[in-house]
Parts: sequence; structure tokens; C-alpha cells
Amino acid sequence: MSFAGIRDKVRAAEPLSLEDGVALYEHPNLMEVGALANEVRERLHGDRTFFNRNMHINATNVCEASCMFCSFARLKVGDAGAYTMSHEEAFGRLRARIDAKDAITEIHIVNGLHPGLPFDYYTDLLAGLKRIEPSIHLKAFTAVEIFYYARKFEMSVGDVIAKLHAAGLDSMPGGGAEIFAPRVRKKICDDKCTGDEWLDVHRTAHRMGLRSNCTMLYGTIETVEERVDHMLRLRALQDETGGFQTFIPLAFHPDNNALMKLPAPTGTEDLRTYAVARLMLHNIPHIKAYWIMLGVKTAQTALWFGADDLDGTVQEERIYHMAGAETPQVMSPAEIIRIIRNAGRTPVERDTLYNVVAEGAALASDKPFRRDVRRSLEVVS
Amino acid sequence: MSTSSTADARPTVAPPEGLAALDLFALGRQAAAARDARWNGRGFFVRNRPPATNVIVALPFRLGESDAERLARLGEIAAAATPPFGIMPAPVGEPFGLDTLRCFALCRLALPRVAHVLADVTTLGPRLAQMAFGFGADELYAPIVAERALRLGANANNPALTRKEAVTLIRGAGLVPCERMADGSLQEAAP
Repeated sequence: MSFAGIRDKVRAAEPLSLEDGVALYEHPNLMEVGALANEVRERLHGDRTFFNRNMHINATNVCEASCMFCSFARLKVGDAGAYTMSHEEAFGRLRARIDAKDAITEIHIVNGLHPGLPFDYYTDLLAGLKRIEPSIHLKAFTAVEIFYYARKFEMSVGDVIAKLHAAGLDSMPGGGAEIFAPRVRKKICDDKCTGDEWLDVHRTAHRMGLRSNCTMLYGTIETVEERVDHMLRLRALQDETGGFQTFIPLAFHPDNNALMKLPAPTGTEDLRTYAVARLMLHNIPHIKAYWIMLGVKTAQTALWFGADDLDGTVQEERIYHMAGAETPQVMSPAEIIRIIRNAGRTPVERDTLYNVVAEGAALASDKPFRRDVRRSLEVVS
Repeated sequence: MSTSSTADARPTVAPPEGLAALDLFALGRQAAAARDARWNGRGFFVRNRPPATNVIVALPFRLGESDAERLARLGEIAAAATPPFGIMPAPVGEPFGLDTLRCFALCRLALPRVAHVLADVTTLGPRLAQMAFGFGADELYAPIVAERALRLGANANNPALTRKEAVTLIRGAGLVPCERMADGSLQEAAP
């Protein structure tokens, strides 16, 4: 289909096909694709651009899986660089943020697939963090981790999610999706859950009332068709459950891993992927430019190519920095606000579930640590 | 293909008014069209830069200047009796993406007598430097080396590119990669 035909479909809010997505990737004029994605972005959100105050805890990097693109994992306890936090160590990081009067609303927790930790390690981690700060939103454990726990501890995926939820889990991050195409997974991440299994974990979580995010790792060995197919499979699940909040394209970082001979995705490839994602995923409300991975400059530019979210203040991100990310490990809210305003957009501080925490004049004020009541979860399907 | 590289003497054309309100994509399209009209869809890199024969002027800019202030500075360059061969926008401090891209577009539109608008990989990083081609840049400014060390540790910000990397970045931006040789001739890279 011609670009004009695709534009007509987008303006009529018709879902785009695989062929349309490939045509957008191959369209010679990136500016046209970007402008169309920006139309959709502004139709959904106007100039509003979201961020949150959060921190990351990567409790262990010991991981049985040997994904070729990963620089974070260490196969065994005792390998150089391997670590596992004690609960007190993890709790100390949250206490430090509270002591610093940092008004974080979310902790993002992603770990390696550690073969030696009991299930209690994870439930106690969540429960302990909630004891310290009951209002904090715990966005934790990728579908890959959940699936691993189900196999390892001989429970159903639903039981794992229920136990984690009872311990304090509020929602799930979108990592581990990589590329769903079996051809690619077999080559770059053969020893973790399949694409269907990843989707099924999210389907289960959505049906239990949890929201989640979704991602796509691009820039390794996948084809453009496989990227678009990945987006379509996410879109289909979203039609079914409505549980995805945001889609986050993740650019491959080649340093320190087995794929280091591959070139990193380029800036125009990044922008095109954001734009195509915004156009293909009409039913997923938000597209996030994850500044940690993309770099501040590209992330800011992506705010005009379909993205409406910059993620958060973060703190001590390890996964991408071990893969060569050169971004800082933390940005202050003032810096994020400045970046958004410099892009000609309107900053909005959100919580994990995209409730507005502050916007307009309220953004300028220093706020004490939030101690509001935890939201009840909504069943989305 | 080998052709001659010359800076022509086009009359100065005022850039569009109301730049601040101009749609980002329209600005990019105008600047890229101006670049393509001059260079026919080609983007350049240079391995052996001839010393001081072709003057390249850095244009420092920092966050917070108005378009009017930038245009005034560009106007001074445009009015020079002998305009520079190339101009290289150089953000002071950590560059912001959109501000930098707008500055590239302004340079291309405001300086029609300047042959080249250069994107400096050292200052911008390879991602933003490549994006600048969508906003009127036509030349990648980076050390071109035979073999680049991995960007690790102290080498993390190494701006050097191999010839293949430079060609890939330019082609990925939708342009035909072309090497500007020391004698001024142009050599298109094979697909």
C-alpha cells in the first residue's frame, strides 16, 4: 500500500497490517513517517509527556539463561561480577531514597534467573519493601522471571503471580519479550520462555487484574517483518485483555556481550522504530522512550516521533550500563522536566498506572514523600 | 563516480519566518530539501581532510538562545565577504536533541553560500549526528579509521568511525554516501 493509503487508514483509525508496517519501515522519507506518528501521538495525548519518579533494583545478576545480547547476567554464583543483594541491602536502597526526601512512587525490579534462590526470597523482598513504604508501587519481575519461577517451583503461572501479588506485586514490567519470532529466539535467547509463553504470562496477569508493559528488543538479527510481526502479536493480546499500558522499544547495545560484532541501531533506526510502533499499536495508550537505553538526546527527539513518555528518574540502572550505555544512572525530576519543555512538550508527572501526580505549576514545587493510599487493582478483562 | 566539489555563490535567502512556531517536520523537510538541491541526495565523509584549505567554522550555541539571536549570528557569517566552506554547529554543554536538530536546519537554510553543514560525531554522538542529516546536515565529521577499538571503559566515547560505519550511518539516513577526497573530488561509496 502507498504511504498515502497508510495515512488514510491511520486517520480513519483503522489497524495497520503487516504489509503496512513493513512499508513504513521501508518508506524513504523518515520525516513523513515521523509526522504521521506525531499526529497519532498528539491525537492521543496532545503535548503532554509523562515521566515518573522511580528507582530500579536489580537484586541479582546470576542467571541461568545465556542470552547472547545480555551483558548483565553472570551464569554462576562466584563468577566475576556476579552479585546477589541481601534483603537488607535492597531495603537500604529504598530507605536511602526516603531519607533523601525523594518522592519516588515506583520501584522497578528485574533480576537474573538465579537457580539457587528460594521463592521466599522474592516474596520477602516485595513484602519488606511494602513494609517500609506501603504506598510505593512495585513493578516487578518480567514474564521470563515469572515463567521461570513457575517451572522451578512447580506452580502454575497464575499461582506465582497470585503469591507475588499477595506479597506486594502491583504490576509487571515488559522486559524479556525480545523478538517473538522463533527463528530469532532460537539464535539469541534459546534457553528462556518462548514468545507464546511470554504472551501467556501477560495474558494471565491481565486477567488477574494486573497491568503490565511490553517491549521489543530491536537491532540484533531480526528482520523488519519480524519486528512488525512482534508488534502485531502484542496488539492482538491488547485487543483481548487491554492490560498493556505502554510499549517500550529497546535498542540493542552491543558492548560486553556475545553479539558485540553487530553494529548498534542508528539514530534514524531508533526514530523510525518509535514512529512505526506508534502507528502499528493504536490500542496501546503509551509509547515510552526509555532514556537510559536510548540516550537523552535521542529520547528527547523521539518525543516528536510517537513517544509520549520518558520513563523516570531511575537510579542505579545496571542492565543497560553493563551493555555499554553511556547515559547517567539517574536524572533529577528538574532535568527531565527541562528536557521535556525544551522539546516543546508539556511535562506531566505520573504514577505507574498513569494517574497524574503533578502537572503545571505543581511540578515546580518540592514535594514530600507520598504516603497516599495504595490504589486498588482494576480487572481489565 | 568522481565529480568536483565546489562551494557555489548563491544569493543569501532569508530562512522562513516564525521559526519557533514552524512545525519541526516542516523545518526538517525544508532544510533537507535545501541540502538535496545542492548535493543531489549525497552525504559526505572525509578520511584525509586537507589542512586549512577549506575553512570550517564551528558555531557554538547553548540552550536558551532565541531563534532571532541565532539567526543574527548566522547572518554575520552569511554576510562575510568569503563565506566559510563548512559550518559545524557545536552545542555548548550536553546537547539536547531537538534544539540541536533545529540549529542544523537553521544553518542550512540561513547559509546558502556555505557549501557544507557538518555533524560532529565527537560532540553529538553517532545517533544524533546521523539524525542531523534529516535536518540539513550533509557531512559526517569524525576521525575515519581502519579499525575501531570497542567503545569500552576509557574508550567509551571514542568518536572514531570505520569507513564502513560512516557509510552505514549516511546510507541509513537515506543519503548516498560519498567520500570527499583530499583533492576535492567526490567518490560515491559502492552500495
